[in-house]
Amino acid sequence: MLLDLSEEHKEHLAFLPQVDSAVVSEFGRIAVEFLRRGSNPKIYEGAARKLGVSSDTVQHGVEGLIYLLTESSKLMISELDFQDSVFVLGFSEDLNKLLLQLYLDNRKEIRTILSELAPDLPSYHSLEWRLDVQLASRSLRQQIKPTVTIKLHLNQNGDHSTQVLQTDPATLLHLVQQLEQALEEVKTNHCRRVVRNIK
Amino acid sequence: MEGSGEPQLDAKAKVTNQLIDFQWKLGMAVSSDSCRSLKYPYVAVMLKLADHSGQVKSKSFEMTIPQFQNFYRQFKEIAAIMETV
Repeated sequence: MLLDLSEEHKEHLAFLPQVDSAVVSEFGRIAVEFLRRGSNPKIYEGAARKLGVSSDTVQHGVEGLIYLLTESSKLMISELDFQDSVFVLGFSEDLNKLLLQLYLDNRKEIRTILSELAPDLPSYHSLEWRLDVQLASRSLRQQIKPTVTIKLHLNQNGDHSTQVLQTDPATLLHLVQQLEQALEEVKTNHCRRVVRNIK
Repeated sequence: MEGSGEPQLDAKAKVTNQLIDFQWKLGMAVSSDSCRSLKYPYVAVMLKLADHSGQVKSKSFEMTIPQFQNFYRQFKEIAAIMETV
């Protein structure tokens, strides 16, 4: 699968052959760092001054590199496809090799970063429970009613939230049985067949 | 307490929340994930509040017996002062 590079993207990347390979390597390092931590515009200004070009040119060059790397990593394109995609830019063989190495070296980490961008449902963090006996309420005195109080700790996008729930032991037992049944489903033939086909 | 669609709000509901319902229960905690043998009585209170737009929210909290006794004392004081007003 080849990457489809827009004209604007090609223009931005056209800056790369105008600097030497040490600078391109440095841009590559900056690109990956920006993917890890977020971008820092001051870096563009410093580099622009040293290279004697506008900071916009540097920014476009780095961003073009970032986009090239993320698109390639996202689609997990092969070495050959990457080389063919970059070939249309008309760069020197050395530059092409450098870009390929940059892709192969960072692909795994970029994919890990991209996987964290998927929408996130609240997920289980931990659980606290308490077994209580209800002795009286406003509407009924002289009771002996066992209840289970559960504090569910959840994580979503780094935020922590809690839910307090209360139920009786019979419902809790039913809940446990339903969950066990869900786990059992994983071992059925149908599920195994589906998993095998995906792999 | 009867729950009818929209809660009846009075004038002060424009400024503060209005108490629609006050439910309580008395329980004894017997065991928990951090302590397997407890004998800990508590009072749980469930409040139903309506804000100025009529939206009903539930708030609940628990009190230990000493906390509840303090809670109760506050209301006794409020009632005593109201007699003098």
